[in-house]
Amino acid sequence: MPATPPFSPTNLPTDNRPRNAGSSMNDDTSRLDGVAKVTGRAKYSKDRYLPNAVYVGYVRCPWGSAELASCNKEAAQAVPGVLEVEVTGKEGKYHGARVGHVVAESPTALKRALRALACEWRRRPAQTRINDAMGEPAAPTEETGKMLAQCDHVLDAVYSTEVQTHSSLETHGACVDHRGDEAVVYSSTQGTFAARDGLDEAIGLPRSKYKVICEYVGGGFGSKLAGADKEGVLAARIAAKYKRPAYLFENRAEEHLDTGNRPASRTLVKIGFDKDGTIKGGLIHTWGGVGVSRGGGGVAIPTGSYRLGEIQRKHDDVSFNAGGPRAFRAPGKPQAAFAEELMLDEIATAAGVDPVALRIKLNTSDDRKKMLQQGADLIGWRNRVKTGSQTGVMRRGFGVGCTSWPKIPSPSEAEVVINRDGSVLVRTGSQDIGTGQRTAMGIVAADALGVPLSIVEVSIGDSTNPPAPGSGGSVTLPNTAPSMAAAGADAKAKLLDLVARLNECKAEELTIHEGQILRHNEPLITWAQACAKIGPDAIVGKGAWAGRGQGAGHSDGVQFVDLRVDTETGIVCVDRVVAIQSCGKVVCRKTAESQIIGGVIQGLSFALFENRLLDRQTGAMVNPNLEWYKIAGPVEMPLIEPILWKDPSANVRSLGEPPTVPTSGAIACAIYNAIGKPIRDLPITPEKILTALA
Amino acid sequence: MTTLPPPPPAGRHPSGVSRRSFLQTLGVSAATSALAGAAEARLAEPGAEPAKDLIGPGPSRVVLKVNGKEMPVTIEPATTLLEALRQGLGLTGSKEVCDRGSCGGCSVIIDGRLHVSCMMLAHDAVGADVQTVEGLANGDGAGGGGLHPIQAAFVKHDALQCGYCTPGLVMACKSVLDANPKPTLAQIKKGLAGNICRCGTYTNVFNACLEASGQAPIKDA
Repeated sequence: MPATPPFSPTNLPTDNRPRNAGSSMNDDTSRLDGVAKVTGRAKYSKDRYLPNAVYVGYVRCPWGSAELASCNKEAAQAVPGVLEVEVTGKEGKYHGARVGHVVAESPTALKRALRALACEWRRRPAQTRINDAMGEPAAPTEETGKMLAQCDHVLDAVYSTEVQTHSSLETHGACVDHRGDEAVVYSSTQGTFAARDGLDEAIGLPRSKYKVICEYVGGGFGSKLAGADKEGVLAARIAAKYKRPAYLFENRAEEHLDTGNRPASRTLVKIGFDKDGTIKGGLIHTWGGVGVSRGGGGVAIPTGSYRLGEIQRKHDDVSFNAGGPRAFRAPGKPQAAFAEELMLDEIATAAGVDPVALRIKLNTSDDRKKMLQQGADLIGWRNRVKTGSQTGVMRRGFGVGCTSWPKIPSPSEAEVVINRDGSVLVRTGSQDIGTGQRTAMGIVAADALGVPLSIVEVSIGDSTNPPAPGSGGSVTLPNTAPSMAAAGADAKAKLLDLVARLNECKAEELTIHEGQILRHNEPLITWAQACAKIGPDAIVGKGAWAGRGQGAGHSDGVQFVDLRVDTETGIVCVDRVVAIQSCGKVVCRKTAESQIIGGVIQGLSFALFENRLLDRQTGAMVNPNLEWYKIAGPVEMPLIEPILWKDPSANVRSLGEPPTVPTSGAIACAIYNAIGKPIRDLPITPEKILTALA
Repeated sequence: MTTLPPPPPAGRHPSGVSRRSFLQTLGVSAATSALAGAAEARLAEPGAEPAKDLIGPGPSRVVLKVNGKEMPVTIEPATTLLEALRQGLGLTGSKEVCDRGSCGGCSVIIDGRLHVSCMMLAHDAVGADVQTVEGLANGDGAGGGGLHPIQAAFVKHDALQCGYCTPGLVMACKSVLDANPKPTLAQIKKGLAGNICRCGTYTNVFNACLEASGQAPIKDA
């Protein structure tokens, strides 16, 4: 039996992330809102407890399918502090379906009223399992059948993934501060302007009389792209009605049930390949479990990372009694990458070829081929032993996966204000959902002006700022950096014009470097001296980006995993993940690394732990909390090495989504490598490993 | 090293409320409101006048000692410490995330020990020394000045993304370091096991904790 090579983090290089040094516009800057966040001063929308506010909560169906038989509206109304009890719906088609709402003077009165309402439900049979409603799998067409018959091997398998809820730590909601003739909406949203646009009717005010603020957002991951969302709309309606601030935030259970998820998937493959691993093609039929929604269950396979030959493709969305999906960080991609990567490893084993060699051979991107070579080196791929050859209790496995994400165009505007006192205010309506957008905007503006970041103040998440896209599809920084750079350049040109006029020289002779105005590269005056001449109004530089042109380009990446499986307990210990990721020009090293690390961790959690469990009899979610809905925690953390692919000539490209795509596939491949059996169902729990080994 | 909360103190709570008298107040509340569970109602002696030192069923005014300051706040018997901090005192650094003790987002340090404030009644914190994330920095932390070493290390190592779990993790890290000035990586992981971060910043948090304890960060590439 080949010995399982020892793993020791102490064998690794000594400097912290030296490979990423010099890879970005700004290597050293720490997140601009870091201090506000570590001191608890950052005010999230959910932190807005306003004087005289009313509190709003939903009445919800507790079963997968049920009819409201009775409720005690009078008792709820009679609870001290209750203002309004509305029960409008009669039917619930999923656990968490909304049938009414309660408005109260305090959160406590709200809770009491919801209990006093004592809804009685007539339960109906609920359909809870995607498998029960999938229908017949597609049969190969004559052409596909003929092609498969000519292949040396055919892999016939079904890969499945379960529902992952976004579980944003700040739940969905809004606090609408309505003062009668004007309002401020504090919304936990990924789209400041979408939130504003969605409130027109509910808030009962012209747009000039209200604004949306989301300075800090406690996570979203795609689930908060619906702008004001149902919570914001109801809060606005209530606030408008009572002319008082209205506060509506979901609780943790509601967040699991009714704010979207990554839908479950089933991927059936019948793939033909030759002795050397060349894939000829075949049939791929996928299903997405969309609950009560009509769509959104797509599985993006083939991912396009590999040449898979001629594919006969079919997809069906499957409805049943559960909350529907929403976009979740790279929608449809992790499910697809998991199936595709494990499929490739199964093909590699059958063909007797190395999985990295096979991926290089089939890859559609030259960058990824280079990344595969570098990553194999870094993870120590040479220590990998043949799949199925280990017999010890602890078995070590190596796995790999690829990712790719397009740059999606979207228009944006930005403003850079230079004040007379030398301070700089940059304004964008985009929001920072944890990505580092605030910091990146500051860096881009400071770079365009030629001033230190320390004098730049960044204003974001405000619907009176220049418009910018919602944070979805990894569009935010790629599409706001160009307008911010243009605004900085415009402001700089205006300042230099002023300096040139006063110093009787030409603006073209002037530059700004580290807060000095240079003429012919010789110091002329300081930034402060130049700004002191501004007046009476501040200089306002404006930039716009049409979202077209020099924008294209994919962000590519590969991830390698080194893990151990305890074959007695079935527990997987991921020791190390090497994540190589391109994103064009990197603006801020630290926040870019964090995006990659976060993507890996969410992928790991998806692979090993997360599962929305519905009770088969009642259709109720049995784990709508954070102790039974397991999310990866500190103890399960591997060493994660984020490596930024150097591409300094490029534009800023996408980064938020691609790093979470390949992790689950790479982990599944590594487990397969360790134990010799492919586990085709996520999450890969100890039970599944022990069953496979039994 | 452990960050488990201490066993409940024997006898009377710091607030002067015994377990029995507290349950009685619940019973009184239950008997007079529509919320009564039958079990709760049975705890109240029928017809008995509430004793003078009993709390509830309505709101009462107490003084909480938070970050070294005596802070008066009006609370109900069922108000949690987290609710009193956030809604009563405007100290919204502690976050309500799960509201059932499973995520650590509301972690505070009470008399030197780490607690999840959503699982403690505000009345039980009367007389105790409560430290929240707002009380950690020496000054307002403006411009990074006056930050506690663990806070400064969080910022330096980008141990935060959306920042919603951050106050809880900062307090948990402080608790780990208070108990063990030079924790190993394994001890740090174990000490933070009660905290959930959804964006995925754990590894940077480990580095922050190592840095704040004067140790080298994890050598990761």
